[in-house]
Amino acid sequence: MSDMPKPAAPGGEVDPSLLEILVCPVTKGTLRYDRARGELVSDAARLAYPIRDGIPIMLPDEARRLDDPAP
Amino acid sequence: MAERKLIAHAGHPRAALDTEAVREAYRRWAGVYDSVFGGVSGAGRRRAVAAVNRLPGRRVLEVGVGTGLALPLYDPRKRVVGIDLSRDMLAKARDRVQQEKLRNVEGLVEMDAEAMAFADGSFDIAVAMFTATVVPDARRLFREMRRVVRPGGELLFVNHFAAEGGLRWWAERTLAPLSRVLGWHPDFALGDLLDDPRQAAEIEPCQPFGLFTLVRVPNLAFA
Repeated sequence: MSDMPKPAAPGGEVDPSLLEILVCPVTKGTLRYDRARGELVSDAARLAYPIRDGIPIMLPDEARRLDDPAP
Repeated sequence: MAERKLIAHAGHPRAALDTEAVREAYRRWAGVYDSVFGGVSGAGRRRAVAAVNRLPGRRVLEVGVGTGLALPLYDPRKRVVGIDLSRDMLAKARDRVQQEKLRNVEGLVEMDAEAMAFADGSFDIAVAMFTATVVPDARRLFREMRRVVRPGGELLFVNHFAAEGGLRWWAERTLAPLSRVLGWHPDFALGDLLDDPRQAAEIEPCQPFGLFTLVRVPNLAFA
């Protein structure tokens, strides 16, 4: 427990060492963790993979397309 | 839901199991899976995790973690990541991790075992229990497991591998067209997984009745 707890991530917490080994399943390139949105972003594939209840969903079909207009 | 993605298998001898069919089958199984399947597969699962625990290296990937039946069996010093395609199964696994306070489980991830989202060499050991028979293409699964395990690491499989002849062979061939309904291939043979079954370092039958087989494959560096 730290003195200044970070606000809860909307997708639930993910172990930092798990984040280290996750890559984009399409490009196998690195991901950017957007903690505020609860997403793992592949800039190369233009996809954002959602995290739900602490479980990253690494499926291209379920990812948000970065180029789509915001909902 | 987006349009169903059917994976083409040119010349594949069996009915192709597409991802959506596997998911749908396991959605139906999720509620009763532990009581129906937990018992008969228990010995194979215990044997496989005991083999994992004996091996050096801490970073373990469990492919097809399902409801997490095996998770409480891992040595507390191992760091385990579990993947599965079934969201319903993973939700049960997550509840199990929380209830049993399994601190050695680093995370659960929903992903396709044939297109994994892990960097090369992320693990020391990968274990697939009762999984190689349910994926659409077992050789792609095997290639992905080789990629995400470091060279010199180990791959372990527990499966029901088909008998090559006799009454059981006939029964399995007869059941094969039902694989879309069952969610797994009853007629799966070791040759469906490995290009050359001699890659296996150990092959041992598991109780009860040698129904399941544990296969260990060293992840040799590519020549």
